[in-house]
Amino acid sequence: MSASKQKSIPAHVVFEIDRIYDAPLALVWAAWSEREQFETWWGPKGCTICATRFEFRPGGFFHYAMQFENGPHTWGRFVYLDISAPQRITWLNSFSNEGCGIARAPFDPAIPLEILNEVTLSERNGKTTVALRAWPHGAEDHERAVFEGMFASLKQGYGGTLDQLGDVLSDR
Amino acid sequence: MSAPQFDATFAALSDPTRRAILARLAKGEATVSELAAPFDLTQPAISKHLKVLERAGLISRGRAAQTRPCRLETAPLKQLARWIQEYQHLWEHSFDRLDTHLKAAQSSETKGKRHVRK
Repeated sequence: MSASKQKSIPAHVVFEIDRIYDAPLALVWAAWSEREQFETWWGPKGCTICATRFEFRPGGFFHYAMQFENGPHTWGRFVYLDISAPQRITWLNSFSNEGCGIARAPFDPAIPLEILNEVTLSERNGKTTVALRAWPHGAEDHERAVFEGMFASLKQGYGGTLDQLGDVLSDR
Repeated sequence: MSAPQFDATFAALSDPTRRAILARLAKGEATVSELAAPFDLTQPAISKHLKVLERAGLISRGRAAQTRPCRLETAPLKQLARWIQEYQHLWEHSFDRLDTHLKAAQSSETKGKRHVRK
C-alpha cells in the first residue's frame, strides 16, 4: 500500500457496510442480542440458521449450522469478544466443525481463518444506524493488504479500471 | 489451490502497481512497453513486477512472439474476489432481513400497546 492509498482507506478497516433502520435503538439491539431474533434474520441467502449455542456475553459462542436447500450443512461460529450494551459488539467469525472448533472454509482452505467484526449501533431521531466493520484477524500484513485492496476494488472500482477486472472475473 | 500458492498470490497483489497492471491486463493482452507507458517506471522495473505476477500464477506470457505479451490469469483472483463478495452478500442479505424483522417487531409492539390502552 502506498501512503496515498492509506489516506483514502482508514487503516485496517477493510470491509464496511452501513444501514439506517426506522426503529429505535432498543429494538435493534434486541435483534442482535436475543437468540430467537438473531437466528431469524442473520445468515447467508438461501440457508436456514440453526443455532446450537447462543451465549451473548464476552467469551461466549454463537455456534450454528447453515442448512442450504438441497445441500449439506456447514458449521460456523462467532466468538463474542466485547459487548457494550446497547451500542457495540465485537466478535470473531469463522467456519467451524460440529464440536464448535475452528475450521478452515470448506470451499477454500486459504481464505482468512477468522474475520474480526465490529458493529456499532447509534440512534438519532428515532432511527438507528447499524455500522459493520470487518477485517481479517491475525492475517499477515500482505493478506490484509490484499483483502483491503480487493474490497476497495469491488466497492468503488479500482480507479475505474478494476471494474473491468471485475467483469472479467465474473464472466469466466 | 494450495496454501503456499495462495500466499504467493497475496504477496503479489499487495503492491498497488501490480494491481494496476492486472487491471490493465483485464482489458486484454499487452506487451511490457505497453504496460510501462502509464506508469512512471522503467521497463526493467515493470519486468520485475511482471516476474512476481507470473510466479504467483496471476499472469502468463506468450512464448512465441519476441515481445512476449502478458495475459491475465484470473483463477487466483476469482477465488479471492468471490469470497469477499460472498461476505458482502451475506451482510446485505442479512440487513435486508433485519429490516423486515424490525418492521414486524414494531408492528406487533404497536398492537400490544393498543391492546394495553383498551
